[in-house]
Amino acid sequence: MRALYCFAKKDRLRFVSHLDLQRFMQRALNRTSLNIAYSNGFNPHPILSFASALAMGWTSDYELFDVKFASPVTEEVALAEMQAALPPDLPILSVRLVEDNHPALMGKLVMADYEIRLSGESSEEVCAAIDTFLAQESVIALRKTKSGEKPTDIRPMARILEKRPYGIFARLMLTEKETLKPDLLVNTLASMANVSAPEMRVHRLMLLGEDAGGNAIPLQEV
Amino acid sequence: MELTDRIDVLLSRVEKPVRYMGGEYGSVMKDPAEVDVRYAFLFPDVYEVGMSHLGMKILYHAMNRMDGVWCERVFSPWIDMEKLMREEGVPLFSLESRTPVGEFDFLGITLQYEMSYTNILSALDLAGIPILAKDRKDGPFVVCGGPCAFNPEPLAPFVDFFATGDGEELTLEYIRLYRKWRESNQPREAFLEMIAELDGIYVPSLYDVSYNEDGTIAQILPKKNAKCPVMKAMVNDLTAADYPETLVVPYGEVVHNRIMLEIFRGCTRGCRFCQAGMIYRPVRERSMDRLLELAEKLVRATGYDEISLMSLSSGDYSCLPDLAHEMVKRYQEKRVKISLPSLRIDSYLKDTLQETQKVRKTALTLAPEAGSQRLRDVINKGVTEADLIRSVTDAFESGWSAVKLYFMIGLPTETDEDVLGIADLAKKVAQCYFAVPKGQRAPGLRITVSASVFVPKPHTPFQWAGQPDSETIHRRQQMLKQALSGIKGVDFKYHEMDVSFIEAVFARGDRRIADVLLRAWQLGCEFEGWSEQFRNDLWMQAFKDTGVDPYFYACRERSTDEIMPWDHIDAGVTKEFLLREWNKALAAEVTPDCRKRCSNCGVRRYKGACV
Repeated sequence: MRALYCFAKKDRLRFVSHLDLQRFMQRALNRTSLNIAYSNGFNPHPILSFASALAMGWTSDYELFDVKFASPVTEEVALAEMQAALPPDLPILSVRLVEDNHPALMGKLVMADYEIRLSGESSEEVCAAIDTFLAQESVIALRKTKSGEKPTDIRPMARILEKRPYGIFARLMLTEKETLKPDLLVNTLASMANVSAPEMRVHRLMLLGEDAGGNAIPLQEV
Repeated sequence: MELTDRIDVLLSRVEKPVRYMGGEYGSVMKDPAEVDVRYAFLFPDVYEVGMSHLGMKILYHAMNRMDGVWCERVFSPWIDMEKLMREEGVPLFSLESRTPVGEFDFLGITLQYEMSYTNILSALDLAGIPILAKDRKDGPFVVCGGPCAFNPEPLAPFVDFFATGDGEELTLEYIRLYRKWRESNQPREAFLEMIAELDGIYVPSLYDVSYNEDGTIAQILPKKNAKCPVMKAMVNDLTAADYPETLVVPYGEVVHNRIMLEIFRGCTRGCRFCQAGMIYRPVRERSMDRLLELAEKLVRATGYDEISLMSLSSGDYSCLPDLAHEMVKRYQEKRVKISLPSLRIDSYLKDTLQETQKVRKTALTLAPEAGSQRLRDVINKGVTEADLIRSVTDAFESGWSAVKLYFMIGLPTETDEDVLGIADLAKKVAQCYFAVPKGQRAPGLRITVSASVFVPKPHTPFQWAGQPDSETIHRRQQMLKQALSGIKGVDFKYHEMDVSFIEAVFARGDRRIADVLLRAWQLGCEFEGWSEQFRNDLWMQAFKDTGVDPYFYACRERSTDEIMPWDHIDAGVTKEFLLREWNKALAAEVTPDCRKRCSNCGVRRYKGACV
């Protein structure tokens, strides 16, 4: 049996790196009475994986990790035990129990919703450039990949862009092949508007997958 | 903007924001409206170092168990953060509630090493607390504890009071008296006079010091019937004493990120250079049942997968084989590793080695401290070459391939031959490894020879000794480096002499060197324990500016009838005992472990000690 836990990362802990968060979750699991399954091998570790790494400095209302149990538990116990093991700034929001053969979260992740909070002089211009961006069929930007920077059409990767009082609401692709990061989006908008990029804070609202009909749904429910 | 938001703005601009973040699992949050005493506990170094310190964990836990008391953690902001804080006018703040330190009732500071003293002045300044105790009209009382508090004099002008000895009960006592004092509406001085009656409390403003023409101390004079000497605070029963049952679990990696279980306090060995071995007397063990109970609770509460058994000499714990065996048995299943630091080479290791090896195999650390038998007798390190050979042979046969050997250079009576003896020992250790047949030994021999520079410490038999001058030390370091260079598998590390010299000045300094400290800090000295931050030129400038001769403090062999700056502070052992030991040292005579025979060190003057 596996559990798909949904948690939030609050403001205070936004500088905890992904690696530190992984270690922290391992210790948190040890604080529970849950019977966690361990990998075989020389250095056994809990079978634990995260849907997506959250960059340093970002906050989130919807992150997921997946952990395997060596014996079955009820949803109530899985939730209560884990909630008790975490500090207030890293709360567990929900859990879904799934079978061992349930597909891995990472493979089902398609996109994410972001609140991109802008501040500083050029915020207005950057937000105004959204219309220009959306009106184009293709927007070429230099995207950082494993094999270096390469020119990519990022237009199709921006599914939704909306101007909001805080800055930009964005739904951006987040798959292994196609990922558009909020910083690249904002930098591109800034260069379209011919201004320097404003200060930004990224808050992730949701990780999304797709249902059979191709509609976006919360990743935990896929 | 609120302080917390102003701090937040700075965090994205510093190298390691996690240091200032707080919010860890296990950190204690209380409602400020529900508490009447707020205590800021400063470890005057960065978060990663301070969070590895056991004493802070013990006191944090003990205070936060008290109703109405909230102890919060404070660490020295690193250079980058401090600069931003000064630019933006952000005061020194606590991690838990981000409250300015100046608003607390107490600022408690732990003194673990002399080279952190400049950070204390930075912290006071950043907190907006007057640097000199006499200028404080309100705000927190500044109290210092920890091993260096046994020579409080170099910090005397900056500190309201010192707490010497075991802190877990003393801290609670002075907090109780603080509440009484506050109700009484008396002036600040009245509180200090009130607590000055407690064992372990030293209020420097209640003592006057006068000097002879040659610079030595003429008299230490208590005022207003202040007690003399100041006895230390002592907790007799460690099994019954408070110990944390949960810990703050950091997010980032810190120096020691694991459960620390203190198995006993004190040491019976009587190594003559070792301050900890003198000031933490007598030896007091925690019962095995209590340790197993604590281990169980701490594993459950923290989720750590490693327990470190802590003490000055863990091999001496009376039930060590039983304890190690039981812990390994209990935690193997749960994948919790057990580690034993500070093993001594004459401990009966083999069985224990095999137990700990099941779970973890790191370098075996041994501390012969000196290269010749004569010099090991001088320092009363009661181990022989045969002990060392037996230990490393056992270790190599049991699958170890890495050994760390710790030594000191500059010990009293040391000659070139003693130093070259270190290389001989290293060579013999390498031979022990190659004597184990190839199929039976682990590959990759690594012998790390580490040589620190001897610093004479107060309250030790070597408190009268002079530190050799830097030419002698440099020459011997290079000589040893040369002698070790031909030995296969040996890596040589040695300490910078300049740092050890400043450390020697402050370790045995008196009130007059407080001026040097203040001047050095004004010149920009900070984080002096970090080698890349240490600024010898600024220290030399500070000595020059204040007209203080550092050699008078570091290098001069002191006369046995001289009044020491710390003679009014009782650390448990008597001056008569220390003098006997000093004379025996000069005659290269050893003193047996006090578990074997009482050497009448004086700690029995304390009620309940050594029964």
